Amino acid sequence: MAGQERRIDDTMLIREAQRGDRAAFEELVRHYDQAVLRLALHLTGSEHDAQDVYQDAFLKAYKNIGSFRFECSFYTWIYRIVTNLCLDHLRKKNVRKEDAPVAKDPDGGEYDLLAQVADGRAGANPERDLMRRQLGARIAGALEKLTPRERMVFELKHYHGLKLRTVGEILQTTEETAKNTLFRATQKLRGALADMR
Amino acid sequence: MKCEWVRQNIALYVYGEVADDARHELEQHTSRCADCAAELKAEQEFHELLSRDRAPDPTPNLLAASRMRLQEALETAQQGGLLHRLAFDPANWLRQMRFSPALASAILILGFAGGVGTTYEVLPHKTTDAGIVTASPTESSIAGISSITQEPGTNQISIKYNTVSTQEAQGSLNDQRIQQLLLYAARNNYNSGVRMDSVGLLTQNPTDTHFRDALIYALQYDSNPGVRFKALDGLGPYVKDDTQVRDSLLQALVNDTNPGVRTEALRLLEPVKADGRVRGVLMALAAKDSSQYIRSQARTLLAQLPEID
Repeated sequence: MAGQERRIDDTMLIREAQRGDRAAFEELVRHYDQAVLRLALHLTGSEHDAQDVYQDAFLKAYKNIGSFRFECSFYTWIYRIVTNLCLDHLRKKNVRKEDAPVAKDPDGGEYDLLAQVADGRAGANPERDLMRRQLGARIAGALEKLTPRERMVFELKHYHGLKLRTVGEILQTTEETAKNTLFRATQKLRGALADMR
Repeated sequence: MKCEWVRQNIALYVYGEVADDARHELEQHTSRCADCAAELKAEQEFHELLSRDRAPDPTPNLLAASRMRLQEALETAQQGGLLHRLAFDPANWLRQMRFSPALASAILILGFAGGVGTTYEVLPHKTTDAGIVTASPTESSIAGISSITQEPGTNQISIKYNTVSTQEAQGSLNDQRIQQLLLYAARNNYNSGVRMDSVGLLTQNPTDTHFRDALIYALQYDSNPGVRFKALDGLGPYVKDDTQVRDSLLQALVNDTNPGVRTEALRLLEPVKADGRVRGVLMALAAKDSSQYIRSQARTLLAQLPEID
């Protein structure tokens, strides 16, 4: 019911934004921008890059909202824009990966030094924080080894809890392809993190 | 059901992405096949391991900074206009027309009415005996709102707004026309006194989600600190139950340029100081806020919280 109300609300805001009402567009932005920023933040691993993706995505949406035809939900549309920008970012990142500040762990595996930096939300239990950071760094390292598309499907399914049918719509592919991609991604991750279980 | 099929679908099963009938068969198979049962257990353990690592939520600071940057960019951004769209996508325009007989009829009727209308004098708006304008105002016809008054002791509100000439609408706060004008005034009016009156009236019924959204908008974007302060007071009672309200108060606390607004936001956030994000902001403020008062108040609130282990 709440989802239906949100959709009606969005429809009104989209129509107003299409008539050039910037306030309506900004309200629409606020319905989705937290989720968009969270996705961009986790995929890029950098607040600066996440802000760039956020900015580019909503500017693109603003400039093209006139061509939005309600053929899909605004949610799918904005996620499509964001995921395309993130995929571009991941592809570029893969190209310049050799320059990343990596170090070797005791088992010879590489990990990202930046992932080791303590975040400001550390609680009062340093041991648990350290373990959490180590786990996070290992998972981040394993995620880096996926192809951009595998990474995106896994991200949308595992961290954002979207149904694979929706993931397929966002990535403009079939549910079946999204299923196959998720299978490949989990297989690779299990292989990369086998020693942690 | 073959073991190979089960192995290929175990990950999807763990994510709840297997159809009901296939799920039933998979469960039946794993209850009989020890190898597949072990594979399922391993996949579930792996899933549990991954689930210990959550994607972090963006901090209120990052969200606020991103919104401000976007707002600045939108001021200079150009939308693809109607002419642009028609010029570059005429096929789509024609397609829309073809599948919209109602729209086509409306355009035909409008054209006919326009033609007839030019031969007669256009009559002015009819008014009732009490002088109340009966025509419903539309945003496009409003040039500005010149005053808002409420009769003492009643819920009657009187709003004067300009079209070509100033008009007046009267009604209660439940009246849709009055609500429409109040929402317009809160967001668009050039006169901060009118915005203040409008926001003041919106705070009388912030359970209405449109009213509450307008208050959040005023708190975030109004240039007048008095209006932002008034919006804060209207939002205060919802800080516990509405996360959007809580976020907007956190943004005001972190980013507002007015010390009074920041102090009031801090006071209103006190009932939810144990919330993770509020706690995070308080810790940041206690460590390095430029205002000594905010620093010390943030420390006081943090000191009242139990330690997290």
